[in-house]
Amino acid sequence: MSDYVYATYIYTTAQKVWDAITKPEFAHQYWMHTNVSDWKPGSRWEHQHGDGSGKVLIDGTVLESNSPRRLVMTWTRPDKSKEPSRVTFDIADYAPGLICLTVTHDQLEHDEAMASSISGGWSKVLSNLKSLLETGKAENIWLIKGKEG
Amino acid sequence: MANSSFVYVIYIRSPQQKVWDALTKPEFQKQYWFGGHQESSWKKGAEWKMFMPQHGLTDSGEILESDPPNRVVIKWRNEFKPELKSEGYSRCVMELTHETDLTRLTITHTIDKEDAQFIQAVSGGWPRILSSLQSYLETGRAHGDTRTVSEQAHK
Repeated sequence: MSDYVYATYIYTTAQKVWDAITKPEFAHQYWMHTNVSDWKPGSRWEHQHGDGSGKVLIDGTVLESNSPRRLVMTWTRPDKSKEPSRVTFDIADYAPGLICLTVTHDQLEHDEAMASSISGGWSKVLSNLKSLLETGKAENIWLIKGKEG
Repeated sequence: MANSSFVYVIYIRSPQQKVWDALTKPEFQKQYWFGGHQESSWKKGAEWKMFMPQHGLTDSGEILESDPPNRVVIKWRNEFKPELKSEGYSRCVMELTHETDLTRLTITHTIDKEDAQFIQAVSGGWPRILSSLQSYLETGRAHGDTRTVSEQAHK
């Protein structure tokens, strides 16, 4: 099974992209969910539903944290029914004012269903993040019913 | 058969017809495709050619399927880099659907060769082009100036 890689180029700053991933009130605007942690290496992180229930959809451990450039964490089902996968965010300056954000989701060999669902999810989340940062507007991406990519 | 492929999905807040026009009309392409444009009638069996300002003709082929504004399939070969041209024709499928104010555009670019350099090249190019397209359609400001900047940065 091949790794999932998605790059998007956004008119913004590295710090804004970092905050959009790590600050719950920011993530809620385009992801509809939030990521909660103190973002120190070794710390636990939780991907929580944004409906106010605080339901944990995914959790894991922060492996690397280099604000605002690189964040690596394990991506685990809360019931621990499968081996964790791994997500890496790389935030690079591409051209003046233009940031390249690359998301790499790998170590998915043990969880085929997760591999399938994240490949549809990341494109929605990252397109919506780009829209929010460039236009100030985002959509409720989880209402899209069409076939997953 | 062993092959190489690249898939990219992007959601753009724009009517589907506008995304289709941006993909197929030279006056729009020039705005976000780093100055490049394509020439074709976009009908099945028609010739298809891509031109970039620095290189002239860069790619050519044929329209294999066309269903505006939903789907187009291009038989596509690089023409200006010998190592890519020698890998032969690829197949590029562009599919559009529209839902909840968003047009979903899926690019699937495939060639019948394992570890193809051509697919490696387009894997770098498509995210830049489609990010620029999203910016262009959502904000009016494409990434048209970035190619020059990045080429200077890599010299």
